[in-house]
Amino acid sequence: MPREAEPSLNERNFVSRALEEGLRVDGRKFDQCRPVSLKFGDEFGVAEVQFGKTKVLVKVSAEVTVPYTDRPFEGVFSIASELSPMVAPSFEVNRPTETEVLLSRMLEKTIRRSGALDTESLCLVAGKKCWSIRADVHVLSLDGNLTDAACLAVVAALRHFRKPDSSIEGEILTVYTPAEREPVPLSWLHSPFCITFSYFGEEGDTAVLLDTTWLEEQLRTSSCTFSLNRHGEICQVSKLGGVSIDAPVFVQCAQVALAKSKEYTELVDRKLAEDAKSRDKGGLMAELTAENDR
Amino acid sequence: MPLDTSTYSLALLRVDGRRWNELRRLHAQIRIQAAADGSSYLEMGNTKVMCVLTGPSEAQQQQQGQRRGQATAGGGKNASINVSIVVAGFASVDHKKRGRNDKRTQELELTIAKTFASVVHTHLFPNSSISLALHVLSADGSLLAALLNAATLALIDAGIPMSDYIAACTAGSTSSYAAADDSADPLLDLNTQEEQELPFITVATLGETDRVAVLNCESRVQVSRLEGMLAVAVDGCKEVKQLLDKAIKAKGAKMIREGAAEKSDAMAMDLDE
Repeated sequence: MPREAEPSLNERNFVSRALEEGLRVDGRKFDQCRPVSLKFGDEFGVAEVQFGKTKVLVKVSAEVTVPYTDRPFEGVFSIASELSPMVAPSFEVNRPTETEVLLSRMLEKTIRRSGALDTESLCLVAGKKCWSIRADVHVLSLDGNLTDAACLAVVAALRHFRKPDSSIEGEILTVYTPAEREPVPLSWLHSPFCITFSYFGEEGDTAVLLDTTWLEEQLRTSSCTFSLNRHGEICQVSKLGGVSIDAPVFVQCAQVALAKSKEYTELVDRKLAEDAKSRDKGGLMAELTAENDR
Repeated sequence: MPLDTSTYSLALLRVDGRRWNELRRLHAQIRIQAAADGSSYLEMGNTKVMCVLTGPSEAQQQQQGQRRGQATAGGGKNASINVSIVVAGFASVDHKKRGRNDKRTQELELTIAKTFASVVHTHLFPNSSISLALHVLSADGSLLAALLNAATLALIDAGIPMSDYIAACTAGSTSSYAAADDSADPLLDLNTQEEQELPFITVATLGETDRVAVLNCESRVQVSRLEGMLAVAVDGCKEVKQLLDKAIKAKGAKMIREGAAEKSDAMAMDLDE
């Protein structure tokens, strides 16, 4: 297995000296993010997020399955993230690397454990039938800040997703096709977003960077990821080792993260509204008309 | 909800009778295994963990590239730190078997490895590896904190140079995430019952400083509570550090008294105290 290429000594010195002078290699300010783009696919539940050169595609799917025996009233919700060799040669299929383990844990803690999706609403027949919602995360290209991009993409895709409508009459469960009944959105409770802070420099003067590129990420001394929703609730914080940071820095970071999270919420809301508008053909009359556009 | 902590506001006593800023009994032992390079046993209340350290020894061939729970800084120039955690089947009440590839355990392993990679002077041992085998004998809250403390003790026992202790503990907040009341009190050192009900953070600091090496929160909590919990946790870590220090000095004094080690002239410590 090829090892990840490490930055050369020249690159190291260049980046760290630039940071000492208050500059980043791509000319951004320390707290400035790369332009974020969020696109929805033609199908429901497909979202593509781009942070600079980092690109993540998420596809959500639903199927009817049997619930877990210890949770008969809940549906199944899983987030699958796999990094393929397409991203970098150092990633192999079926051999999770550190990045992959941490990414899947982060998404799990942020979205699943915080109860963003109401799993009880996925129950169809208690103990017998339920919906299984699965979000597949595909990383198309990696240039740093993968967690934030992946989290934004998963939240956007899940909010965009529509599952087929269903009804129960007596013992008979009917799942309707989109032509019979309009698919319904998931019961979504809150939207948490990940915001990662990267710390550079040794004791004393720590530089705090937002939205790092891959090069910066390889050189940082430690990092901390906050997950918050717009109501100011922390869903998860993880600073997993690395060089130690003064405690008050985290309190400041939490405030910055909250502002960022509100920004992302707004972005997703706006894009969802735009998408809904473009799908709206103008009501039933417009759909039923026999007139053709020539 | 597994228990009702609403009685807290009446007596200001927690389920196990502690006050808000009290640690559970911390019992630490080092050099518990003669064959190991370093070893420790730590109890924080009913959480019991053991750490056995091997190394620094020659690094094994990197059979699988990046192995689990490993942190290396700067390639072969520095020692790598490998951590493996085994949670005994009888450690908790529900006998849930956690596999080797459980992602939660892997995350804990990575956290511990990365924490010590930045504190241990790994540059003194090029091309070598330090392996920490952590065993959870009984889990009753503050697991990550106990594991970090046990690892610190084992590293000190092995005489591996490091810049300072890593001392860890947890802190929680008395009201659940749903309630937005301001009357929430921070709590120190939670047990399982409290961890299941209350939001909490795990903090590890570098010795008695305010510098935080690990900050971990997995529950929903208002952002305004973070500051209070962090302050209590950092104070708790200072207390933990002193307790760890005391355990190590006591063992050192005992070894000198028994003639297992010689008292050096540089030692300012008085053995008789």
